[in-house]
Amino acid sequence: MQNPYIPYPVVVDKIITEVDTKDIKTFRFKFINPEDEEKYKYIPGQFGELSIYGKGESPIGIASSPTQKGYVEFTVQKAGVVTSALHEMEEGTLMGLRGPMGNSWPLEFLEGKNIVIVGGGFAFTTLRSLINYMIFGDNRKRFGNITVIYGARNPGLLLYKDELIEWQKRDDLNINVTVDKGDANWKGKEGFVPAVCKEVAPSKENAVAVICGPPVMIRFTLPVFFDLGFSKENIITSLEMRMKCGIGKCGRCNVGSKYVCKDGPVFSLAELDKLTPEY
Amino acid sequence: MEKRLIKKDALAGIAKKMAGDFLVWAPVKKEDNILFEPLQKDGEPYFAYLNSKNAPKNVFFPHTEAMMKFTRTEKGMVFSSEENKADQSVLFGVRPCDAHSFVLLDKLFDQEKYKDGYYIAKRQNTTVISLACVQPPYATCFCTSVDGEPVSSEGADILLVDIGSDYLVEFITPKGENLAKYFGETKADAAAETKKNEIAAKAKEAITSKIPAHEVKPILDKNFDNPFWNTIHGKCLACGTCTYLCPTCHCFDISDEVKGSDGVRIRSWDSCMFPMFTKETSGHNPRVSQKERWRQRTMHKFKYYVDNFSAIACVGCGRCVMYCPVNIDIRKVVEDISKL
Repeated sequence: MQNPYIPYPVVVDKIITEVDTKDIKTFRFKFINPEDEEKYKYIPGQFGELSIYGKGESPIGIASSPTQKGYVEFTVQKAGVVTSALHEMEEGTLMGLRGPMGNSWPLEFLEGKNIVIVGGGFAFTTLRSLINYMIFGDNRKRFGNITVIYGARNPGLLLYKDELIEWQKRDDLNINVTVDKGDANWKGKEGFVPAVCKEVAPSKENAVAVICGPPVMIRFTLPVFFDLGFSKENIITSLEMRMKCGIGKCGRCNVGSKYVCKDGPVFSLAELDKLTPEY
Repeated sequence: MEKRLIKKDALAGIAKKMAGDFLVWAPVKKEDNILFEPLQKDGEPYFAYLNSKNAPKNVFFPHTEAMMKFTRTEKGMVFSSEENKADQSVLFGVRPCDAHSFVLLDKLFDQEKYKDGYYIAKRQNTTVISLACVQPPYATCFCTSVDGEPVSSEGADILLVDIGSDYLVEFITPKGENLAKYFGETKADAAAETKKNEIAAKAKEAITSKIPAHEVKPILDKNFDNPFWNTIHGKCLACGTCTYLCPTCHCFDISDEVKGSDGVRIRSWDSCMFPMFTKETSGHNPRVSQKERWRQRTMHKFKYYVDNFSAIACVGCGRCVMYCPVNIDIRKVVEDISKL
């Protein structure tokens, strides 16, 4: 049996600097042993432990979609010991990857529904995984209208800029990208995410909102969706907590009786209401 | 299963004989402390003790343990080997409350989906011999309030009960029976069994410290925000002694150490009493003060573990009560909660 604490060996295959401030990069990993890719079967919304021997591990949401074969991607902000070491790495470096961990975006629940994706800043990574999954080939037919509202503080801080352009070209996606404040070249929307949600006003009919962002964005976005008539069962989000083991043993990421690492990170607001407000 | 009798003065000899064949963890007197340690060749086990200072959970879940090794190459640090050592061993003379804790820890480390191989390997390769509590207990013992008893075979492969001139030896599991050859040939008679039952009933009565451990569950379900939580932590030093001595506390940290070109990933006991336990890289801490940490510790034992595993994560050993440097008493905390 696979020891869940032992990482799969991976190589840093490609590094993409996402933002002008250069502190958020997307790392593309390839598995050293091809059979490990098969074992690392994941669903959008899950996360992995990036393992740098000698530094430690960091739990990060998976940013690629399982429809993208041959590699797995994580978008990482430089913040602590492990992520700083990662940001210093060059393509070709060997490291480890554990997972996939946690539940996922509830794909079965989302099927046949209109999907509203709301993302803010750096918290767009697992939402990107979900979008790429839903629009891949025949998958698109399994979902109704897809509306995306994504905001960043300024144009330079938007992630996945090339993909945003590609998505905007599609007629089966309603993409709304906004920045708090534009610059000389910015031709898109200006305004905070909650205000844009109000303006786009997605219908609650047969719809689910999947919302991820900084706490301040969440705080002001939720009332907009309540006003639009979305029930707490139909608003889904993802939590973050300090983690070590990632499999519900080391004891630090619990919110009430639930472990964010294994029972989450994805919860509906209705589920969160039943938990203690300690996150 | 089979029951035998051994002479009381034969016990230390049996432990020492076993120690010639495998690793035997036994209570050993060290200055004023009784500690479970590997029995050395010239070592003497000490069975006339009430309970050991440390819970013997370290036999399965060491204070610090290597999980894997790695080494430097031109292309970065790479994994070199998995570290998981589990020698055939015997945990000799453990108290029933501590043996009960192993059953509780199994629920966490040996779940259906995520198995913790480090713990499981040691657990599988270790035979647990419990030594029933028949002497007057500590005033801080409250095992009978948390599903335990001073004479109990729960978590044990062999149970030893002092019935006067002899120990009654009960082989509880096949793993225990495998060690039958060390315990002589004298079969126990019905009189020994009767004597044991009398002693067990008396020992149970002798535990006079009681807490409403089951009763507080529905109260905890509804009182996360009760102002009561402001009243416990005032004098707490956040030293973590309660969690380190606790037989059921299992929280751990994982960290890497490097020397030259070689490194090791280790796990070490951690404590929910420490501010850093939940502090995130951003600086955000969901359990911002000692109040939240005390609430977590209490809730984890008497509510969350019950929610997840249908069992209270406390065995009533009383170590946290006895050794808390500022005398915070979990029994009073639970008692107070029952009155909310």
